[in-house]
Amino acid sequence: MPPTPCALCKTNRALIVRPKDHSKLCKACFIQVFETEIHHTITANKLFHRGEKIAMGASGGKDSTVLASVLKTLNERHDYGVELILLSIDEGIKGYRDDSLETVKRNAQQYKMPLTILGYDELYGWTMDQVVEQVGKKGNCTYCGVFRRQALDRGAARLGVKHVVTGHNADDIAETVLMNLLRGDLPRLSRTTSIVTSTPSAASSDPKSHTNIKRSKPLKYAYEKEIVLYAHHKSLDYFSTECIYSPEAFRGSARALIKNLERVRPSAILDVVRSGEDMAKLVPGSDDSCGGNCANGAPAAEEEEGGCGSSNGRTAGGEMANMEQQLAQNELATENGLEVEITAGAISGQSHSSGTTPLRNREKKTKNKSEAVASRKPPKQVMGKCSRCGYLSSQEVCKACVLLEGLNKNRPKNAIQVGYEAQDTDNADSMATATSRLRNVQIQAD
Amino acid sequence: MPGKHVSGIAEQTCRRCKENSAVLVVRTEPLCRDCFVKYVHTKAIKRMESFRVRNSAPDQQRKILLPISFGVSSVSLLNILDHHLKTQKSKTGRTGFALVVLFVDATGVGRSPPDKALLDLAKERFPEHEYTSIPLHEVFDLVSEDTSLLEILPTISSNKSLPSSERLPVLLNSLASATARADVITILRTRLIVEQAKKLECEGILWGDSTTKLAEKTLAETAKGRGFSLPWQIADGESHLGIAFNYPLRDLLKKELVAYVDMADPSLSPLVHEPSKTANQLSMSSKNTTIDDLMTQYFESVEANFPSIVSNVVRTSGKLEVTPISTSTPHCSLCSNPVTDGRFGIHGWGGDQEDGLVPSLTERSKGLCYGCTRSIPRQSANGDGA
Repeated sequence: MPPTPCALCKTNRALIVRPKDHSKLCKACFIQVFETEIHHTITANKLFHRGEKIAMGASGGKDSTVLASVLKTLNERHDYGVELILLSIDEGIKGYRDDSLETVKRNAQQYKMPLTILGYDELYGWTMDQVVEQVGKKGNCTYCGVFRRQALDRGAARLGVKHVVTGHNADDIAETVLMNLLRGDLPRLSRTTSIVTSTPSAASSDPKSHTNIKRSKPLKYAYEKEIVLYAHHKSLDYFSTECIYSPEAFRGSARALIKNLERVRPSAILDVVRSGEDMAKLVPGSDDSCGGNCANGAPAAEEEEGGCGSSNGRTAGGEMANMEQQLAQNELATENGLEVEITAGAISGQSHSSGTTPLRNREKKTKNKSEAVASRKPPKQVMGKCSRCGYLSSQEVCKACVLLEGLNKNRPKNAIQVGYEAQDTDNADSMATATSRLRNVQIQAD
Repeated sequence: MPGKHVSGIAEQTCRRCKENSAVLVVRTEPLCRDCFVKYVHTKAIKRMESFRVRNSAPDQQRKILLPISFGVSSVSLLNILDHHLKTQKSKTGRTGFALVVLFVDATGVGRSPPDKALLDLAKERFPEHEYTSIPLHEVFDLVSEDTSLLEILPTISSNKSLPSSERLPVLLNSLASATARADVITILRTRLIVEQAKKLECEGILWGDSTTKLAEKTLAETAKGRGFSLPWQIADGESHLGIAFNYPLRDLLKKELVAYVDMADPSLSPLVHEPSKTANQLSMSSKNTTIDDLMTQYFESVEANFPSIVSNVVRTSGKLEVTPISTSTPHCSLCSNPVTDGRFGIHGWGGDQEDGLVPSLTERSKGLCYGCTRSIPRQSANGDGA
C-alpha cells in the first residue's frame, strides 16, 4: 500500500491524524496549521495590541509551555509587537511544583523571556502543603484555585502588566461548560466561555492596582491532544506530572465525559464550546450579550475558583455527594413548604368565622415565602472591592480573604505567632510585606 | 434499580401511611407499594393542571397527543393518564381531555425498533383511547411539499418521484456516523409527531420524558452543538414547532418509573419494549456508540448515587431564557429550531479557524443550524453535482 500523502501539501507522507477532524497531515503541515489557527484566534478576537506587555501564566505544564512557544513564534512571524514575559505561581506543593518550576526556568532561558516566580507563602502566608495539612485533601483545590487567580493578577500588577494570558484549551472550556451544567451554575458557565475576561471599570486608577487586569485564552479553541502533539513534534520541554492532591469530582466527571464524547465524535469538544458560547447569551441577567465572540469580555472575578483542572477522570465523589445532600434537603424543604402552605390555606378557609389571626399571619408569611421563591433568579453580580485586600469581589470580603480567615483561625497560635498577627490585624499590610518579599527571578538571556 | 430496596425489609414501615411495610426507598423515604404508586401519580398529575375538567368546555372535547415509544416512560405515562381519566369521569361524569395515542413505526430504521404488535396489546389494555400508527418515512409526505426539509438532500429533492419510503434510507445511508443517524431519526420522529398532532387537531403533545431523560437531552444537545436551542427543547408550553409541549413526567426519575412499571397492578412490563441486550452491548463497544448512548450511560450512573444532581441539571437548563423571536426569524431546515443572527452552519464563529470559509451563501441557504450541519455535513448536503 502506498503511503498516504499529506492532505494539505500533498507531497510529504502523512504521519499525523489530526485529533480535531481526523485529517491526515505531515508533521510540517500539522505544526503550520496549529500555529495558524492560534494566530487566527488572536487576530479575529483582537486579543493583543502593539506595544502591549503580556504576562503568560507559566506552570511548566504542556499548555503553558506550548502557549509560550507558539506566542513567541507568532510574535516574531507576524510582528505583533508585544512584549512577552513569564509569570509563575509557586503553590508550595513539594514533589510537584519544585520540579515543574525547574522546567519553567529552563523554558525562560530557551525562549529568552524574563521570568517571575511568586509564592503562595509570600502572598498568603500559607503554602498548599500547609493548607492540605490543615483542611485535608478534600476541597483543597478550591483554596488553590482561588489563591492562584489572585496571585496571577497580583504578580501582573507587580510587574506593571495589564494583560495575562493563560493556557486554557478547548478541552478545559468544554469541561467547564458541562461541569457548570452539572452543578447548576449558569453565571459561571457564561463567564468561562468568554475568550477575554476583564475586570470592569470599578477598578482603581492606580497603575499598580491588581483589579484592572485583562485575561485571555489564546488556546481556547485548541484541542488538548493537539497541544500534546505539538509539544511532542517541536520537542518542547514540559513537565507532565499532575498535581498530587485529589481533584474535584465534578470536574473529573465532566472530563471523563468529554473524553468519551471526543472518541464518539471528534468535533464534540468544539461543539460543546460553541454551545457554551450560545448558552451564555441565554443566561438571564448576563450583560454578556455577545457571548464569547466580542473582545470586550466578561467580568472576570471569581471565574475559576474550581481549581487547576488537572484531574484525570478520577472521581473523589465527596464534592458531588455534598451537593447531592444539599439539593435533596432543598427539595425536601420546598416540598414541605408547599404542604404547609396548602394546609394553612385550607384551614384558614374553613375556619374563617372563628377569625384566627395567627393562622392568617402564617398564611401571609408562607405566601411571601413562595413569592420569594418564585422570584428567585440567578443573582446578578455587582462587582465591588474586597474590604480587606481591595481585590475585585462581588462580596464584602473576597473569597481568598474568607478562606484565609478560616485557615488562620485554626492555625495553632504558638506555631507562627507573628505571621498570624500580621494576617489578622491588617491584611493589606501583610499583603504589602508579602509582595515586597516577592522573589523576582529575572533570568537574563545571554 | 428503584431507589434502594430496603435491606431490613419488613421491619421498616411506610413513612406516609405508617401502616404497610415499605418496599422501596424513594428519595430517602421508605414507601409501601400503594404510597409509591400514589407518589408517581401525584407527581405526574400535578403537571396536568391545565387539563382539569373545569378547564374544558362540556361540549368540546380537548384532544392531546401521546406519542408512545413503548419505553418505560411512555408506557407509564399512558397508564397514569388512563387512571387519571377514569378518576375524572367517576368524579365529574366527564373528562378534561381525550387521549390520542400515536406510535411511530420505525421498522427497518435504527437499532431494534419496537414491534407494532405492542400497540394492539396497549389497545386491549387501555381501550378507551384513540390509537394510530404511522411509519416514520411519512414525515416527507406530511410536511408540506415546498418545505425546506425536502431540500436537505439533493438526491431527495431532485428526484420527486422517489417514494417517501425510499427517501428515508437514502438520507440515513448518506450520514457518516451512528451519532448523526440517531440524531436525524430523533428529529424526524419529533417533526412527524408534531405534524400528525396538528393533522389530528390535537392542542398539545404529552412527552414521556423523565427527569433523567431531560438531563440526558440537555447534555446531549450541548454536546451536539445545539446549546442555543435548549430553552425550546425542554420547556413546557408553546414550542418552536407551533404546538404546545408538555412533559408530565419531568419530576420523576427514570429509576422510579422502572420501579413503577413493576409495581403497577397488573404489571406494565409486557407492554415495555426492551432493546435486545446483546445488540445494546455490541453497540457500546464499537463505532456504533452515539452521543445519546453516552449520556444515557452517564446519567444512569449519576442517577444511582446523586439523583438530585440529575434534577438540578434540568432545573438549570430550564433557567435559560428564550431569545425573542419573530415570525421572520429563520428556522433550521431540519430541526426547526429558530436560528438568530444568521448563525447557520459551522463556519463564521470563533471556533472556526479556516479563514477562507466565512459563512458561505450556499451554507446559509441550506438553512441548517450548527448542530444539524454537524450531522449532515457539506459533502452529503452538496450531493454529487456540487
